[in-house]
Amino acid sequence: MQFLMGLSVALDRLNTHIGKLAAWLLLPLVAVIIVDVVNRKVHFFSSLAESLKASGNVAAGELVATYLTSTKFQDLEWHLHAALFLLCLGFAYVRNAHVRIELVRERFSPEVKAWLELIGTIIFLLPYAAVVLYFSFEFAMRSYNMNEVSASLTGLSHRWIIKSFVPIGMVLLLLAAASVAIRNALFLFGPSRLKRDVRRNAPELHVAAEDLRTVAQQEIEEILDTEDHDDTAPPLGTSDSSRERRT
Amino acid sequence: MTFVDLLPLVMFGTLAVLLFSGYPVAWVLGGLGIAFGAIGMYFGVFSFIEYFNIVSRLWGTAAESLILVAVPMFIFMGTMLERSGVANDLLHCLQVLLRRTPGGLALSVTIMGTIMAATTGIIGASVVMMTLLALPVMLDRGYHVPLATGTIAASGTLGILIPPSIMLVIMADLLSISVGTLFLAAVLPGLTLAGLYLVYIYTRTSITPSLAPPLPDDIGPANRAALWTMVLRSFVPPILLIVFVLGSIFAGWATPTEAAGVGALGALLLAIANRKLNWRVLKDVSERSALTIGMIFGIFIGATAFSYVYRSLGGDDLVHHYVTQAALGSWGLLIMMMVLVFLLGFFFDWIEITLIVLPLFAPIMRTMDFGDHVPEATTIIPWIAILLAVNLQTSFLTPPFGFALFYMKGVAPEGVKIQQIYVGIIPFVILQVIGLMAVIGFPELALWLPESMLD
Repeated sequence: MQFLMGLSVALDRLNTHIGKLAAWLLLPLVAVIIVDVVNRKVHFFSSLAESLKASGNVAAGELVATYLTSTKFQDLEWHLHAALFLLCLGFAYVRNAHVRIELVRERFSPEVKAWLELIGTIIFLLPYAAVVLYFSFEFAMRSYNMNEVSASLTGLSHRWIIKSFVPIGMVLLLLAAASVAIRNALFLFGPSRLKRDVRRNAPELHVAAEDLRTVAQQEIEEILDTEDHDDTAPPLGTSDSSRERRT
Repeated sequence: MTFVDLLPLVMFGTLAVLLFSGYPVAWVLGGLGIAFGAIGMYFGVFSFIEYFNIVSRLWGTAAESLILVAVPMFIFMGTMLERSGVANDLLHCLQVLLRRTPGGLALSVTIMGTIMAATTGIIGASVVMMTLLALPVMLDRGYHVPLATGTIAASGTLGILIPPSIMLVIMADLLSISVGTLFLAAVLPGLTLAGLYLVYIYTRTSITPSLAPPLPDDIGPANRAALWTMVLRSFVPPILLIVFVLGSIFAGWATPTEAAGVGALGALLLAIANRKLNWRVLKDVSERSALTIGMIFGIFIGATAFSYVYRSLGGDDLVHHYVTQAALGSWGLLIMMMVLVFLLGFFFDWIEITLIVLPLFAPIMRTMDFGDHVPEATTIIPWIAILLAVNLQTSFLTPPFGFALFYMKGVAPEGVKIQQIYVGIIPFVILQVIGLMAVIGFPELALWLPESMLD
């Protein structure tokens, strides 16, 4: 039991860590867009290439002229976007951020919710993620085998790298599904002393409206707390801390 | 017709029922796609290898799309503006400016909803945010509860319509029209609605001042100089940012994606200027945005799997068959679509509705003809998209199901009754219907701006 619990927590953490790391891709995405927009107006990189070539640094000039172009930047933009959302699918599932229709569900007891989650994972999520994983692996392999490059001749090469993020995202999603399934199964069939722990770690078993309220309330407090923003202040109103508070 | 011919309908019916299980919409969609593919295989109308197309479709629609890069950028921008207190400062500043006007606080909430329409654009989240920010203040001041809740719910949902709206980006992408056109088309209808709210609040509170007691004079800074500093610091920057983002799209200087990136940078700079940006805030905003992005694109790819299998089983032909048989004419079809979307809006957020239903409507929309009412065929789709957007917003507000109202009840202070929320929203629903009728009756309201700007 303890092993299963540990496994579920470990898979949850893995997804959370990867999701949190992937979240940082937003900043390079902003940066690439800005560089592209500015560069198209002021032609910084093409003049840099010219001056490098003029000063005898032909190789460096060629490098700049080849790699720092708008087509490449724009390819990079959707590469970052694709990697970002594919890496966050599982993260959003373990954190219960995927939209649900709560109309009927909010009336159910935690036991019924756990059953629904378990059944849903087995009949919807597992087959879906498994089929997409299987074919996306082939999808990425095809790209690798034919050495696929950007459709626009001057775009990024090595298309298989970004395409591999589909199977990677699906593996993470399957691991997230395993984590959620295990914790719900433990909640239903595990020893009663584990139940409380499991429930605390399983946001899908909470009352959605209450969680929403706690998280939003904390966020508002953070926003309104205008004075000090040093790093010694207590951690933010993330849903983790709200979960802790409820027990 | 045999059972196999009706499979797409069965598929849709199953979806409708199973969504209410409360299992994440994204996975129900994807799972049903796979399951009905398997059923199709059993009946010999689908082959295993076709599943491969799901992957290439989801790749082509969700990943390899420069247009959709605007979505994460707008989400980041909205989350940053909200989290760095820009929205709250703006509300405070508006309150001070409007403190002597009847219904000043309610007017402030409406104006903030209009300007901050960028904030995330997820109905649940923005209604929750607005309720927590504004409702306690309004109740403290002795505002009439229904007026307060009605104002907040209506202003909090305006964000899906007023650009930069993520919903419009996704609609434009699904309908293969330009995001700029749809943004422009939404401007006047959005401002009309906001204007209707403002006029209503002002008139009603002028007639019955007790509904909205005036704010004490001392809420603002003591002197004029301090007041202007506050206006310059908290009112002007966010407006400039939004105007700049939209302006650069409308003027054709930047694509929506680029403008969204610039907007994201602008939100970061505003947070720095407000001295609210630190490591923790940045991390928090990025992670929140990442969760929202994972959620939206989860549904995106789930819906792609679903609609691929649905099409492959002959869904489009089936719908086409019934549509031709019904011989409703373009107006009849439009009304049917609007009613359907209105009913769906009781239960679902725009994400599910646009991603599931819009692809279904798109082929029908392309065959529509409204004669002289909307003479140019190319403008029919943007017009209908705006109608659907206003319609959806109305649906989110209409009791007893209106989904914005549920969220509001969930976070409203104790003592606010659902009946009060229902009563309060009725005038705004009437205003919505007036706005909707105006856009139906005068398509120019939506189409004039894109036509005159983009020529």
